[in-house]
Amino acid sequence: MARYAICKVSELPAGGRKIVTVAGRSIGVFNIRGSYYALRNRCPHQGAPLCLGNIQGTVLPGRPYEYVYGLEDQIIQCPWHGWEFEIATGRTYFNPHRVRVKTYDVTVGPLADDDVTLETFEVTTEGEYLILHA
Amino acid sequence: MTETAGTIPIIDCDVHNDFKWWNDRGAGALMSYLPRGYQEYVKMWGLNLPNDSGYPNAGDRGNRADSWAKTDFAERGTRDHGYAGTKLELMREQLLDKYNVEYAILLGQELRPLTALPNADYAAALAHAYNDYLIERELSADRRLKGAMLIPTQDVDAAVLEIERVGRHPDIVQVLVSNGARLPYGNRYYHPIFEACEAMDLPFALHTGGEGIGINGQPSLAGYGSYYVENRQVRAQGYQTHLTSMIFEGVFEKFPKLKVVFVEGGSAWLAPFLWRLDADWKALRAQTPWVKKPPSEYVWESVRFTSQPLEEPERPEQLLEILAWNRAERTLMFASDYPHWDFDSPEETFPPLPAALKRRILHDNAAELYHLTPHADPAKVAG
Repeated sequence: MARYAICKVSELPAGGRKIVTVAGRSIGVFNIRGSYYALRNRCPHQGAPLCLGNIQGTVLPGRPYEYVYGLEDQIIQCPWHGWEFEIATGRTYFNPHRVRVKTYDVTVGPLADDDVTLETFEVTTEGEYLILHA
Repeated sequence: MTETAGTIPIIDCDVHNDFKWWNDRGAGALMSYLPRGYQEYVKMWGLNLPNDSGYPNAGDRGNRADSWAKTDFAERGTRDHGYAGTKLELMREQLLDKYNVEYAILLGQELRPLTALPNADYAAALAHAYNDYLIERELSADRRLKGAMLIPTQDVDAAVLEIERVGRHPDIVQVLVSNGARLPYGNRYYHPIFEACEAMDLPFALHTGGEGIGINGQPSLAGYGSYYVENRQVRAQGYQTHLTSMIFEGVFEKFPKLKVVFVEGGSAWLAPFLWRLDADWKALRAQTPWVKKPPSEYVWESVRFTSQPLEEPERPEQLLEILAWNRAERTLMFASDYPHWDFDSPEETFPPLPAALKRRILHDNAAELYHLTPHADPAKVAG
């Protein structure tokens, strides 16, 4: 597993997302309420760019005629067929399809010597970067 | 042996264009094609089409969420700055270029409910305007685009005149109505339309939609379901009603060269349905003695189905058996339904298919039906 420096922390504020390509893989990196997540940008159903989907909550399974909304900002919905995935785990929500999308760790820290930097940004010894482990 | 989809030129039999999005001008795009009196009507009332079923849709306002992109989708943060994928540039990027599409058949969107309008004259004016607009503004923009013309079914004479007026245009490849209707489509009321279609070698296509809106009949035998998912399941009911009507009213005997296309209503139901019809025909033949062949034979000869939304059996290989039952090598034509949310990708939707069958479904069946030939210079199709 390699370390990829995505950007400076300040460049991905809460609510933001970045789609990056590392070693031929398209990966979406998200800042959700200050926590960072990364998912493979390919829906296991029909190959849609999953990470372009809306980030939202969803209506929870319940009794007939009952609508309870929850999981605010914890679900990403595939832009094509609407399959819902838990951003934190990559699992399909309510798991009807028994598939999952690959997740990756994202950490915050200073650059290490062998980090691959994905964009041209000024590398300094100061500051904190988002590191994608993929 | 399998052939990858990427090596087969694809004919996509269900692509949606919407003049509002295409031109960024709303109903204004159609205005100059309408007679003055109806221009004033539209200024006052809008298009006033009965296209609101009261049901929601799905996806992002009915479309693939990524088809709304106008600028940088990935970092957009807002939903309302774009127009769905029927912007031609995006359609090229996400469909025509991406999947080696040789031809895409445009089946319209906003205007199709005109067959559910109470006012036959206004419906005829809208169909006339849309067909002209379609030919001049959309089909001329890319050689891969072919179009389906609309007709006012409320007035059969006007419908026939419209078919005769624009049906010979080389970019118009079929006549299109909706599943929702006032009468089953085999009814003799419609026969002059079929006569015109047959004479001009234009397939008559039905697209799902229009069920229970405007002057159309209720969406199902028992009226309205409560939810959108229920309304999606009336498609096959409607298509079975129309198909049975066409067979037993003798449409295919009267018009043996007519071809009929059922779009977006599934097809896994077909073979078991025909087994039932064939069995019933043996017992009841004398009640409709003009039906001289088993019902299934009319279907194999004269009826085609589009693939999307493709059924997803419990085990993918079960689909191969269904395709064999349905004689898919003759009857099934690929459709993506781009840019709608239930889009089927030509590369990902089907389980592995034998090469010959795959080619029939992705290309040859439609090429034969619509008389489409390869482009002389594939590098110059755009623009």
